Amino acid sequence: MSALSTPEIQGLGQNTLRLRKLQGLGVLCGFAAGAWLGAAEAPTKLVAVGVSPVVISLIMVIGVFLARWSLPALILGTSSIHADVRRAPHLIVWAILAGCLWAVANTLTIFAIRDIGLSFAFPLWNSNSLLGIFWGFVFFNELQQAGWRRWTGVLGGALVMCAGAALLALASSTQAPAAHPTRGVWAALGAGILWGTMYIPYRKAYLTGMNPLSFVTFFTFGELGMMAALAVSYLGVLPLWHELLRARDVLFWLMLGGFIWVIGDLFQQYAAKYVGISRGIPLSNSNQLWGLLWGILVFGELRGRDASLYGQVIGGSLLMMLGVGAIAFSSAGGAEEMRWKEAARREAWRYGIAADDVEARMEGRQAPGQVQRGRSAWDWLLVIGATSVLVFFATIARVPQISANWGPAVALAGALLVLLFVCGLRLWRTTRFQ
Amino acid sequence: MQRSDPSEKRRSWPANVITDIQFWVPVAVLIGGLLLLLAIH
Repeated sequence: MSALSTPEIQGLGQNTLRLRKLQGLGVLCGFAAGAWLGAAEAPTKLVAVGVSPVVISLIMVIGVFLARWSLPALILGTSSIHADVRRAPHLIVWAILAGCLWAVANTLTIFAIRDIGLSFAFPLWNSNSLLGIFWGFVFFNELQQAGWRRWTGVLGGALVMCAGAALLALASSTQAPAAHPTRGVWAALGAGILWGTMYIPYRKAYLTGMNPLSFVTFFTFGELGMMAALAVSYLGVLPLWHELLRARDVLFWLMLGGFIWVIGDLFQQYAAKYVGISRGIPLSNSNQLWGLLWGILVFGELRGRDASLYGQVIGGSLLMMLGVGAIAFSSAGGAEEMRWKEAARREAWRYGIAADDVEARMEGRQAPGQVQRGRSAWDWLLVIGATSVLVFFATIARVPQISANWGPAVALAGALLVLLFVCGLRLWRTTRFQ
Repeated sequence: MQRSDPSEKRRSWPANVITDIQFWVPVAVLIGGLLLLLAIH
């Protein structure tokens, strides 16, 4: 075996440095995802009861649809999405499939909460991160040759997070004892399995270098199509229409929740791309912690409850942070990254994509010969159209009569904006949103 | 990493998708989820 020349050694060093940078970026995206996904619950808390859960879910998905088309158009332009699709058309199928899985899982959570309450349902479906680790290992070589320290960090961290989630959910539950425990357990477990499996298409797309912004654009067709089909099958077309009309003054808040959720999901997609699903998913599952922060600090959900409850909240939060920290410090090493590249080569070979294209995109770089086009008039039309729909619903929205602590709300919103700015800037500087 | 040889492509992309085991796992889980919804509704 011949010795490496100086330029080759320098090239290897730069490559390792680049991969370390991407791993750090992926971890940061995981944190930002948790914060924004958790905040998406806040606007929905402004909506009084009386709207069917299926309708709430459908309206949020409509908000998601608007955001998933307008944000990618604003950030990169639809020409970049067209280029991605021409390069790897098979990924449209994966994206739509992932969207369908999301919609069915989301509907199952509604039944789970109704039947066994949030305290039992949340930890059950949060087990999706464990399934994500399993699929990452089996199909995409994640955690292979990772060494026992990284295994302990990731698996141990995910388990500790599940324990923390269980404590937090128990503390935040205000529901009556379960009415249909077996049915609720199956629904929660089913949601966890569907969400855990949804990460197969995610990882598949990113191993072949697809841009997360392109993936979510097609994901949303599966999401909206499946959710609309479920809503119609549960309620019927006319009753659904009447319910939408009846709820017109709260539609904006639900759509806003969907819009905020998309920003979190975009960060989750970048985390899945740069640190893999075994690490990205548990990190973004810290959304429960942020949701609880909004609930306690802004909406005073635990006001007047006994001290033991606060003990549970503090204990659960500490466990979740411990788990997040363990995973964040267990980034993939050189040997594991080589195994990721093997999985990427398999995809490139199977679907006839140029391997150097895949490698460049996996590393957040532009592929050789890739032309970056600007935004077109069509992109601006999409952005203006989506904004107009939101503005229209905002004008007919009723300002909710709800007591909220605006000081903490401003502080939490400020933290979100800081994360958005810091993470967005690093994504732009490191990958140009690739 | 080497560029994959286009001549190695033996099938169209839809054929590649439906012969990929990683496609059928999510499809099976989705069908299972829909059946579960049907059962608990």
